[in-house]
Parts: sequence; C-alpha cells; structure tokens
Amino acid sequence: MGKTLPTVHLLVTLAWMILAFWMIFLYAPQELTMGEVQRIFYIHAPSGWVAGTAYCMVFLCSVVYLWNRSPLADDLAHAAGEVGFVFCSCLIVTGPLWAKPAWGIWWTWDARLTLTFVLWMLFVSYLMLRSYVSSPGRAATLAAVVGIIGFVDVPLDYMAIRWWRTQHPQPVIAGGEGSGLDPRMFLTFMVCVGAFHCLFSYLLLQRFRLAGARRELSALRRALAIRPSED
Amino acid sequence: MPNIYLFLAFSALWVIFFLYAWSLSRRQARLRKELEELKSSLEGGRGVWKSDVRTVEENSQPPRTT
Repeated sequence: MGKTLPTVHLLVTLAWMILAFWMIFLYAPQELTMGEVQRIFYIHAPSGWVAGTAYCMVFLCSVVYLWNRSPLADDLAHAAGEVGFVFCSCLIVTGPLWAKPAWGIWWTWDARLTLTFVLWMLFVSYLMLRSYVSSPGRAATLAAVVGIIGFVDVPLDYMAIRWWRTQHPQPVIAGGEGSGLDPRMFLTFMVCVGAFHCLFSYLLLQRFRLAGARRELSALRRALAIRPSED
Repeated sequence: MPNIYLFLAFSALWVIFFLYAWSLSRRQARLRKELEELKSSLEGGRGVWKSDVRTVEENSQPPRTT
C-alpha cells in the first residue's frame, strides 16, 4: 500500500498527460487567425487554473493552521505554495511566448498580466519567508498571514478580464454571451485542465510526504539531543 | 516563424516540470539517507535509543527504599 498508491497516481498522471498532448497536437483543430501557435493556450490556461487552485489551498490551509496550529495544515500549505509556484512560473513563461506572435509584444502591464505577476511574486515571497525566518513556528505563522492576505489577488486576477478592458483576450470559458470554443477545442482544454490538476496533486503529495519525513527527522534529532548522558 | 514560439513554450513547460521533479527527488533521497543514518546510529551502533527508553521508564519508577 505504501508505494502502490503513489505509483498508480504517477501512472495515471503520465497516461493523462500523454492523452492531453495527443489531443493538443492531433485532435484539436487549428485556430483560424493565430494558427499553430494558438496551441500554447492548452498549456498556458491550465497552468493558470492550477496556480489559482494552489493559492486557494494555501489560503485554506493557512486559515486552518492559524485556527488550530495543525502541523499537517502547515505542511500542506507549504507544499501547495511550492508546487503552485512551479505552475505559476509555467504560466508566466508561456504567456509571453504566446503574446509575441499574437500581439507583437512580449509583455504589457494591463490588469490581467499585472495581477498574474503579483500572484507569482506572492508565491515567491511566501517561499522566501519560509526559508529566511529561522524559527519554524514563527515562519509558519508569518507565511499563513501572507497566504491569507495575498488571496485577495486570486479573485481579482480571475475577474480582471471581465471587469476591465485589457490587452489579454476576453474569457472563452465562462465568459458569457459571445464567448466560447469549438467543441473539440473545449474537450481538449478540459482534458488538459484535468491532466494538469492530476500532475499538481501528484507533485503536491510528494512534497507533502517530504515535509512529513523532514518532521520525523527533526523529532529524531530532538530525541537524540535530549537523551540523558550514558555516564 | 510562429512555430518556434510553440516549440519554446512546450519545451519551457517540460524543462520547468523536470527541474522541479528532479529537485524533489534529490531532496527526498537526501532526507531518506539522513533518516536512515540517524535511525541506525540510534538503534544499531550503541543501542542508545533503547537504553534511553529504559532510562525514561526507570526514572518514572518510584525511588527504591533500602
């Protein structure tokens, strides 16, 4: 049971990713105006969804940690922060690589892009705070506060393209009248969202197990440090 | 040549994922090794862990009267 479940989880993730990539290149139709480069959409937008999910987890686990000081909630928040940073980095890197051929510029400081950059900076500051504060209890408390305050950015980032005029395109999913995707594009997109979330959950659990092992090691070290003298 | 951007975006995605997976597995291996070393030094070599448990138990006994 100990190693079977992570192995099954990994195999499911790999199979789902292979299916997603097959659909991106061989199933989804080519977009008329942007052409092949539009296929970046299938990795760019799911990375953003996962980054949002990760920050929601950071927020919820931070609330739980401040409520009952549960070390498991703290470990989960830390793991979600780290894996979320990875997906947010994918979002930040793939965005300009799509923007350049589509808009002719790498970056612009519109509301959506700025708030996404703020989200990435929040992940960075959350992880830096955890690294640089020497006392583990104090680091966990401060990180939880940052995790809660920074959550304001997530709904703002999501709504930015609905509330304000931006260089970033208007939403094609849940965007109201006039928006939408070709059914095959939509199916491909949803498979990609599922695959990315599956990968996220796998990496999250691995990172969470790492935190558990680190905690076990600290407990053993403490036991060794307080053992009575043999003399 | 927009396909170069497509290639770069997918390559960047995989590079980021593989770098993170590699860093995670390296940290896991290092931690596992440290844990094993510590456990074996506590249990095996000097029997410190077991003797500590005995010491704690002995300490919790009421003092013997002669």
